[in-house]
Amino acid sequence: MTWWIAALLLFGILTGLLLLGLAAAFAFLAINVVGAWIWLGKEAGLVQLIRNGVVSITSFSLTPIPFFVMMGEVLFHTGVAMKTIDAIDRVIWRLPGRLSVVAVVAGTIFSAISGSTIATTALLGSLMLPEMLRRGYHPSMAMGPIMAIGGVDMLIPPSALTVLLGSLSGISISQLLVAGIVPGVLLSAVFVGYVVVSVKLDPGLAPAFTHQPVPAWDRVKPLLLYVLPLALIFVAVIVSMTAGWATPTESAAIGAVATVLVALIYRSLSWANLMKALTGTAAITGVILFIIIGATTFAQILTFSGATNGLVRAIEEARLGPTVVLATMMVILLVLGCFMDQVSMMLITLPFFMPLVQLYGFDPVWFGVLFLICMQLGLLTPPFGMLLFTMKSVAPRHITMGQVNRAVAPYVVIGLVMLLLVVLFPALATWLPELLFQKR
Amino acid sequence: MMRALAAAYRAVLHFLAAAAAVILGLIALFVTLDVVMRNLGLGTLPWVTEVSEYSLPLATFFIAPWLLHRNEHVRLDVLLAVMPRRIANGLERAADLVGLAISIVFIVFSVRLMADSASIGALVVKNLTFPEWWLFLPVPLCFALLAIEFVRRMVALPPAAFSIALEKDEP
Repeated sequence: MTWWIAALLLFGILTGLLLLGLAAAFAFLAINVVGAWIWLGKEAGLVQLIRNGVVSITSFSLTPIPFFVMMGEVLFHTGVAMKTIDAIDRVIWRLPGRLSVVAVVAGTIFSAISGSTIATTALLGSLMLPEMLRRGYHPSMAMGPIMAIGGVDMLIPPSALTVLLGSLSGISISQLLVAGIVPGVLLSAVFVGYVVVSVKLDPGLAPAFTHQPVPAWDRVKPLLLYVLPLALIFVAVIVSMTAGWATPTESAAIGAVATVLVALIYRSLSWANLMKALTGTAAITGVILFIIIGATTFAQILTFSGATNGLVRAIEEARLGPTVVLATMMVILLVLGCFMDQVSMMLITLPFFMPLVQLYGFDPVWFGVLFLICMQLGLLTPPFGMLLFTMKSVAPRHITMGQVNRAVAPYVVIGLVMLLLVVLFPALATWLPELLFQKR
Repeated sequence: MMRALAAAYRAVLHFLAAAAAVILGLIALFVTLDVVMRNLGLGTLPWVTEVSEYSLPLATFFIAPWLLHRNEHVRLDVLLAVMPRRIANGLERAADLVGLAISIVFIVFSVRLMADSASIGALVVKNLTFPEWWLFLPVPLCFALLAIEFVRRMVALPPAAFSIALEKDEP
């Protein structure tokens, strides 16, 4: 069987099963069963598939995933997140589109504590959207910034999907986590700028500021009380990791326990909400890792069938320039992002992309950040943008899917511009990790 | 009889999901304790790294059936959403059938893997030493429950007594 027939067969069956509505995890397992039977020696291949599946997720490098998710889940289920939003709400003053700006700033802070994009979007959407709509914010101005900043959660550490990308691709997880900070914060800043300028140009998008003057201390006190400790957790996680005191897994565990302690100190922790947070953690982790069970075998099948080598050789023989290859990879990711979840995107593309990254000598950390930005955009692009559905599920019933899609469009364009900027100026991604890890 | 079975089935799913949640919480606690003890010069917990590795498949296999029961596994339902309900239902049942077939393959071959491993006396020898087949034990358990869930989904439309009993218990 030639490599391209093998590739067509594998991806054809996979696409068919996904369209049938079979959960992605089972679609990958099905393709693995077929592939193991054909290319890995029938029954012996199926036994190997199960062994690989267990080994794939028995990995210390994947352990940060539940811990990063746990940080966000604890923050949300204990109500500490609400206090944080309230604190930020008091310090952002007199800006056009004030609550949209509050959503972006609060989302950025949550991103630094939570490793789950869905949790951040669901929280901001359910807490802030009804109030924004009630006050007369245009739906696009109310929903767009929340979804956009939810996507940025993937770039700003801690991030469960960044850990997964590092683990599956062999790129340094610590460096990848740190590399996302600059593009992530830049995107947040640009979102704020976009909100302010849009409302300045079209005051109908958001109501005018009507707050009565409040003493400065009353505005700053909640910030010190509820935002500073969370910022310190973020610093502790990053510093312990970059200084070499702890591995990413250990830093993540410290972050998770510290978040629980903060909730305890605020008297917000109960057995019931802790259990809810832990169950939410197990659920999100389970969804991700159950897809990963098929990862190792899927990559092996692609190799044994000749699909990986065939494609890489074909690209090599076509003598395509690095720019064309990189652009093609990005376009593939952006298109897949419209239809597929992020974990499936990684499983399908990384077995092909990483040999190309090596062949063309791309900086793996830089490439990893580009990959993350594409996945972040995939969260926001219809018809299968996960955050679009998250927003729809928490929005009032009169909000249509069309309104949700239109609200996020400008932020997708901003994300694409950021992707281009990181392509043109790799230092945006590589400067911080080079600075922090230079001694090691 | 059917109601009692359904309630027992749901209790098992809930128990395993709660166990997965507790496992992950405890692992976060132990990993942190290990870092704190090491940095304070109080020694280390040498088994923590290894146990936290094993906790991932354990938690994943424990919670997977509960996730399927709640329809929380990620899936692409764009095509189903635009199709007439009857055709979409048919496609979903076909997907469930594929899921059931995969589950049976996993049950059969995971049992075979465990039997092979036990017959040659394979051991995992790291900080902890134990028979290798223990590692694979959650696989047939998980896929047996997944198989039951796929069957339940296939017979649940139109609603069967089994599914009605289940829905009644939903929080």
